[in-house]
Amino acid sequence: MDWSPFLLSLRVTAVATGFIVVVGLALALLLARGRFPGRSLLEAVVMLPLVLPPTVVGYYLLRVLGSGGPFADQLSLNMVFTWAAAVVASFVMGLPLMVQSSRAAISNVDPTLESAARTLGSSELGVFFRVTLPLARRGVLAGVVLGAARAFGEFGATLMVAGNIPGRTQTLPLIIYDAVQRRDYAQANRFVLLMTALSLISLWGVRRLASSR
Amino acid sequence: MRLYVDIEKRLDPFRLQVKLDVGSEILVLFGPSGAGKTMTLQSIAGLVAPDAGEILLDGRALYRRHRPGSAANLPARKRRVGYVFQDYALFPHLSALENVAYPLWRKPGADERALALLRRMRIEHLADRCPREMSGGQQQRIAIARALASEPDILLLDEPFAALDAALRERLQRALRDVQRELGLVVLCVTHNLEDAFAIGDRLAVVHEGQVTQVGKVDEVFRRPADIRAAESVGLRNAFRARVQRATADGVGLDWDGLTLEAPPQHAVPGEDVAMYIRPEDIKLLYGDRAIGESLRHNQVEAVVTGRHVVAGFTSLFVKISNGHELEVRFPVYTYGGLALEVGTRVRLSLRREGLVLLPPPPSLDTFARVSIE
Repeated sequence: MDWSPFLLSLRVTAVATGFIVVVGLALALLLARGRFPGRSLLEAVVMLPLVLPPTVVGYYLLRVLGSGGPFADQLSLNMVFTWAAAVVASFVMGLPLMVQSSRAAISNVDPTLESAARTLGSSELGVFFRVTLPLARRGVLAGVVLGAARAFGEFGATLMVAGNIPGRTQTLPLIIYDAVQRRDYAQANRFVLLMTALSLISLWGVRRLASSR
Repeated sequence: MRLYVDIEKRLDPFRLQVKLDVGSEILVLFGPSGAGKTMTLQSIAGLVAPDAGEILLDGRALYRRHRPGSAANLPARKRRVGYVFQDYALFPHLSALENVAYPLWRKPGADERALALLRRMRIEHLADRCPREMSGGQQQRIAIARALASEPDILLLDEPFAALDAALRERLQRALRDVQRELGLVVLCVTHNLEDAFAIGDRLAVVHEGQVTQVGKVDEVFRRPADIRAAESVGLRNAFRARVQRATADGVGLDWDGLTLEAPPQHAVPGEDVAMYIRPEDIKLLYGDRAIGESLRHNQVEAVVTGRHVVAGFTSLFVKISNGHELEVRFPVYTYGGLALEVGTRVRLSLRREGLVLLPPPPSLDTFARVSIE
C-alpha cells in the first residue's frame, strides 16, 4: 500500500493546525475581550468558510494566491498547485471551528480573575498564558481538535487551489475521490476506513476533553 | 507611606468625585451599595481609568490627567497595590499555595514565602487544596495572603467580611489590623457594615452618590455626621427638626413641637430651625420608683410603646411621645428587666442631653423626611 497520500495529509494537517492554533487563539481573544468597531464584521468574515461551499472558498483562495493576486505579483510567490496551497486551504477551512470554540471558552473566564492577575504583577501576556488560557483550555483544545479534523478532511477548497497531483498535492480525501473515479474500490475502502477511524478517535478525544473535570 | 487620591469619573447616574488623603492606617470607605466605593478602589489599583485627576503614592504619580505635571497612568502590575476582591477572585486552576505564590513567579524561595504567608493567616494545612474545596472564610484568607505576597504598599479590600460568620469576622479583623501595623501599609477597606467599620477603621470616609461627604475618626463621624447625608449614610435613626430658643456657653435650648429639650453647647442660632438627632442608644427608660441620675435629669418625656423587636442581642423599642413624634429606643436585651414594655404601656424616657446632636441644614427637606421616616 502506498502511504504517501496519508503522510502528505499528516504534513499538511500538522502545518495548518499550527497556524490555526496561533491565529485562532489571537482572533478568539480579540473577539472575546476586544471592544473595537468592526468586531462583528471581523467575526463574520472569519466564520464565513463554515457556511460557504468549499469550492467558493477555494475560488477566493485561487484569486488571492494565484497569478494576478497579491502574493504572486508582489512577492513572486506562486503557491497554487503546491502543498503550501493545500495548507492554506486547510487552515482557512479549519480556523472558524477553532475560533468559535476558543472564543466561547475565553468569554467564560471571569474577567475579575484577569484583573486579579494584573494587580499581582502579570503583564497582558502573562495574564493570558497563566490565567485565561489554562482556564479556557478545554474549549481551546476542543477547538484545536475540531479544526485539525476539518483540516485533515478538507477536500473542495484544496482541489480548487492545490489541484489533485499524485505525490504532490494528493491528500487522503482527494485520493479517495480519485480511487472511486478509477473504480479502485479496494484502495478507496482502505483510505475511507483509515479516515473514519481517525475521525472517530478525534471525536472521542473531544468528548473526553468536554467531560473531564 | 502616603496615598493621595483626587479623581473624577462620570458614572451613570452620578459623577464620582473622590478626594482622599490616606497615611499608614486603615481607612474605611463607608456607604450604600452603588455609591462608587468599588470604582474608587479600581481606579487606585489601575483597573479602570478615571476621567481626570491625580493618584499619588509618596509623591510618585500612579495616575495623572488634566492636572499640572506630566500625564501618567501606570499599569496595574506596576502600582504595588494588593487588591482583595469581593468574591476573592482566587484562581480556580491553582492550589491555595500556588495562588499565594502567583505574584512570586520564578522568584527564588517563592514556595517558602507563600507557605510562610499561609502560616501567618493560619491556613497552612490548606496549601494543597483547590479554592472550590474551601469555605468562604478560608478563601478570604488565601486572597489576603496572595495580595500580601506581592509586597504591596497599598492594600485594597472590597467588602472583605461580607460573607463571614461573626467569630471568623472578628479573627480576620484582628489579623488585618496586625498586618497593617506591622507592614505600615496604606489600607482602604470598603464596607457598608457599620460594625465592620468600627472594628477595623482608624478613620472613616462616608461615600454618598460618588462624593466623599465626610472623613474623620470612626466614632467621630458616627457621633457627629457632618451633614444630613452623612447621617443618612451611617443609618441614623431619630432625626427631627426643632427650633433653637437659646444658645449659650451652658447649652442649647430647643423647642421640638411643644417639648422643651436641652442640648450640650454647640453652634446654633436662636430662632432658627435646625435638624437634630439622638441615637437610639442615647434614649434611656426611667423607672418610676427609682432615683434619677444626674445625666438623665434633662429631657424627660412621657411616651407609649407602639412596637418592639429584638435583633442581635438588642431590643429596639418604638415609642410615641407626647408631642406626637415616634422615637426608637435601643438597649441590650438583659436591661430593664423590671419594666413592663408591652405594646400600649406608658413609659417615661430621658433623651440624654449629651446625645442630642445638631446637624447643619439639610440640602432639601425631602432628604430629611426620608431619614426621619426611617
